[in-house]
This record gives sequence, C-alpha cells and structure tokens, in this order.
Amino acid sequence: MAGTKDFPWLLKGRCYKLGHNVSHAGGVIPDRLITGREMDPQKLIPHLFEESDPGFHQRARAGDIIVTGRNFGMGPKMNGYIAMQALGLGLICESMPYLAYRAAIGCGLRVLTDCHNVTELCETGDEIEVDFQSGQFINRTRDIRKEYPPLPEALQEIVALGGNTGWLKQWWSASKQGAGA
Amino acid sequence: MGMTAVEKVLARKTGRASLQPGEVVYPDPDFIMIHDGLVRGAKRELDSLGIDRLARPDKVVMVTDHEVIYGSPRAAEFGVINRNAAKAWGVKQFFDVGRGGHGHIFPMESGMLLPGMFYFDNDRHSTNAGAIGAFGFRIGAEISRVLATGTNWVTVPATLRLVLKGKLGRGVYARDVGFYLARLIRQGTIPFEMDYRALEFAGDLDSFDLAERAALCNSPTELGAYGVFFPPSERILAFARERAQHAFAPIYPDPDASYEKQATLAIDGIEPQVALPGEIQTSVDISEAVGQPIDHAFIGSCGSGMYEDLATAASFLKGRRVAPNVRLFVAPGSERTTRRMAADGLLNVLVEAGAILLPAGCGPCNDAVVGPLHAGEVSISTASNSNAGRFGSKQARLFLGSPATVAASAVAGAIADPRGA
Repeated sequence: MAGTKDFPWLLKGRCYKLGHNVSHAGGVIPDRLITGREMDPQKLIPHLFEESDPGFHQRARAGDIIVTGRNFGMGPKMNGYIAMQALGLGLICESMPYLAYRAAIGCGLRVLTDCHNVTELCETGDEIEVDFQSGQFINRTRDIRKEYPPLPEALQEIVALGGNTGWLKQWWSASKQGAGA
Repeated sequence: MGMTAVEKVLARKTGRASLQPGEVVYPDPDFIMIHDGLVRGAKRELDSLGIDRLARPDKVVMVTDHEVIYGSPRAAEFGVINRNAAKAWGVKQFFDVGRGGHGHIFPMESGMLLPGMFYFDNDRHSTNAGAIGAFGFRIGAEISRVLATGTNWVTVPATLRLVLKGKLGRGVYARDVGFYLARLIRQGTIPFEMDYRALEFAGDLDSFDLAERAALCNSPTELGAYGVFFPPSERILAFARERAQHAFAPIYPDPDASYEKQATLAIDGIEPQVALPGEIQTSVDISEAVGQPIDHAFIGSCGSGMYEDLATAASFLKGRRVAPNVRLFVAPGSERTTRRMAADGLLNVLVEAGAILLPAGCGPCNDAVVGPLHAGEVSISTASNSNAGRFGSKQARLFLGSPATVAASAVAGAIADPRGA
C-alpha cells in the first residue's frame, strides 16, 4: 500500500476559531446541501460556514486550520469536510462525536480530535502550525507549544490517499497487480 | 485484566488474545448487511472504481426493509437497481420485498444472527443484535469498503455497564425503561456519556425476553451508543439453538472486565413514559401527557416490531375500535411474525379494531415513505425517535410510547395510560 511519508502532514496557516456544539447542518454547511446529498467539492466550497460567515471560502487559504471547541460537527455527515479537504484546510477539535470524526477521515481531511482546551491557546488570525502525524501544535503568534494525540497510524493511509474512495482505488489497483503477478 | 463483551467479540474476530478501548482493528464479520436505500450508492462507487467483485458475496445479506411498498417511481427504480446489484455481485442472501422483513429483527428470529456473532451493517439500529448477545456495527456508506475487502477499520469502543434492579410494574414495558433511562442520562442522574460507547446491561434481566431486550437496545442507540449488549440467558440460548443456521459460541463479559463507568437503575417504580416531540431524552411520566389528542398512531420499528410487541398491542385493541379521528398503522418486524399473527388470530384482532396493516419492515419510521403526517397533526408511535420531520412534516408533533401506550391511545383518540385501558 502507499506510503504516508511524503504526504504533507504539517500545515502552517491561520487559526479560524469556533465554539462548542457546532452542528454539521447549518453550523458547517447549509442543511439543503446535506439532504440534497451534494458531494461535489466545487459545489460545496462556496457554502462552507456560509450561515455564520458568508464569504469564508474566499478568505480561506490552503494551510489554514479550523480550531473548535467540544462536540464539533454533530451528525455523521461528510459534506462540510469534503469542502474543507478540497480547500486544503486542517481541523483540530477539543472533541467530536465519533461518527463525525470518522466521516472527516473518510473525506481525507487532516483532523485531530481530543485536543483538550485547544481553543484557549489560540484566537482567530493567529499563525499556527499543526503536525497531524505527530500531534504537535504550535502557536507562533503567542509562542505556545502543545502535544496532542496524533492521527492514529492505522488511519493515516486513508487520509494520505484522499479518503475512503482514494483508499479503495489504491487497494483495487494493488490487488489486481497482486493477482496478475 | 478481563474483557468486556465488545472487547471479547472483537478479539475473537481479529484473532487477538486481548484488546483495549481505542485500538484500531479490522474484524472479520460473520456477515455483512446492506439495506435497500444504500445499495445504489455502494454499487455506483464500486463500479466507478472498476471493482466488479465482492470479497465474500456468500457473507453479504441484502435486505429490502426501508421502502417495501414502492410509493414513488424512484422507489421502484431502486428496486430494479437492487435486484440487478444482487445478480451482478452474486449475492444469494437477498431478502427482497416480502421475503424477510426488518433487517434488525428477522435475522434473530430465523437463526441467522446468533449469540457471540459480529457483523457490519450500514444502519445504526444494528445495535438490536445485542438482544441476542451479538454485535452489529454501523458503518454507514463505508459499507462499500466492507463489500469490496471483507472488513473495515473499527475503533474498539469503551464499555459502560448498567445494572437493572427490580421488576417492572403492570402496564410498564422495556420501551418505557429506555425512555426513562434517556431522561436520567440527560439529567446527569446516570452520568453516562454514550457517544460511541458499548452499553452492557446486567442485573435482573431474566424477565426481559428477546423482544424486550430488542426494545431496550433502541434508546441507547438514539443517545449515540454504538453497541448494546445483553448477556444471553438460558431462555435466549434455547431460542437460538432451536433455529440456529450455524454453530455458535456465546460470549459473556469477564468478571474482572474494566468498564468506563457503571451505574444501577431501579426499575420497580418506573411509570409508563411518553417521549415528547423532539428527542427521547424529553420523556415524562405518562400522567403529564394524558389527554393530548392524536391524529396518527404507529406500532412497529426496530424497537417494537417483534411478535410479543404486537401481541401486547393487540391485547389493548381486542374487542375495541380505533377512535374515529385516528389512523393506526401496524408494521410487523418480519414476514414470519405476520404469518404467525395470521395463524393465531391476532391479525384479525388488529383488522377488526380498524388498524391498517403494513408489510413487514420499517413502516413510516423511514422518512415516512408510507403513512406520513401533515403540518399540525399529532402522532404517538413506537418509532425509534421523535425528531421533527421523521414522519413527514417538520410541523407535525411526534410523541413516543410503548406498544401498550400507543394501542391504548389509538383507541382513546388521545394519549392514554395503558393501566386504565
């Protein structure tokens, strides 16, 4: 299977801070795109955080990191994470419901959860760095460093391959080669 | 250190001597279940990648339960897609319309799902497996990876243990316990965080038969539990042995297993419960809801669709009529139950009372594909939850109760205490 070594696990960018209990429907992306099962990143991107922060997608830059409080992304939905991944963003949360975390990984999003009190260590606009493979968090603006639980090794391959579909594609190609050898 | 039930079954299915919560593992399932609404997406995804064969078609179980009566051209189209997928994939265990019933009920009745088993399912109410002493893990749309490769990653859940003490009073059923438990968890009286936990029941469980155990798997699932488990009693084991399609080995938690938290729930004094519109944690004692007029009632769903649930409901409908302004829908959990009720006369009791019989499956509980409500209407049902919009209009008000409470209410035309019926 593909190695995960060359994948850019370290993101450097600006912090975009959110509070606790942000639900996926409405809080991350409008409900109509979820119920409409819209999965096309280009169609989702203009609507990311649209209800709380219109125009977010125009200001966001690849490498920026969304930092949230507890219980982020309620509901096992993928639509918002597809948009975040396509924009090259990262996500670190004080906590996420397990199925929300699983959905984010399935979209190939660089994501950390169980980052205890991380919202106390940064503000929107701070220059921050997160290494999703090691769990290291650095706030350059405030000179703060912290270690958080990294993305489990077993799941890194899924993220590095761009999510579930990318993983399956790689797996199928490898198993066909194996069968032909 | 001993293991909890979920740790034990996952250890067995991964060939490990022991496991800890938080570990990522790849269990080898006893079977893989996919329901009618998800087949199209999985087939499209695998087709787009050129994946034209499944890892273990012999383990795949396809079930038509979410939309049994095609109420729309789209549903009829899905039916064709599903039948073609079964053929293309070589899936022999295909329980299409009228062939099995609700995928979280009939496999226990038919001896397909047995104590100690583990399986993958796209749907979260696979937690019902705990009724017979097994685990079914919800994997959502990632079922496509299970179909293609035979497994998928799973994080070993932490386990909570709830000890039930006492005996239920007259007119009080397992669904009432579930609603009451949800309320106590919301209040913090039982300090459980349920997200992605396995919940083990213990204590005075002998009076809980298979149907009551399935009913009690329901509420924890709504609170986020990923697995619910009852250690199988002698009666459950005898039930399983009578119909087992395979050899099986039950599992029990070790006496020195390590739990995240434990609590005790006294069930003696519980009153019949009614969950208010919105979420099951809002349940109240029935005295606070009695008299609320209703337009619609439904008995069935994964939580209350077994023969015993319908027999309880029938005992409140026998010789009575559903109130003139109420429409009562009944969806048995399995074709087997429908046949049994036809044979022993219970169907006649329902029909004579004016109930409308639906085919075995989810009934209105799946996006109200049958029997929906209009804005402003009121329902009481045994559905798995009372979220706004579950039965159609978001402006409809959905109450929940036990099969007895729903049947008594359908007769009264308003929410009624089954103890007075």
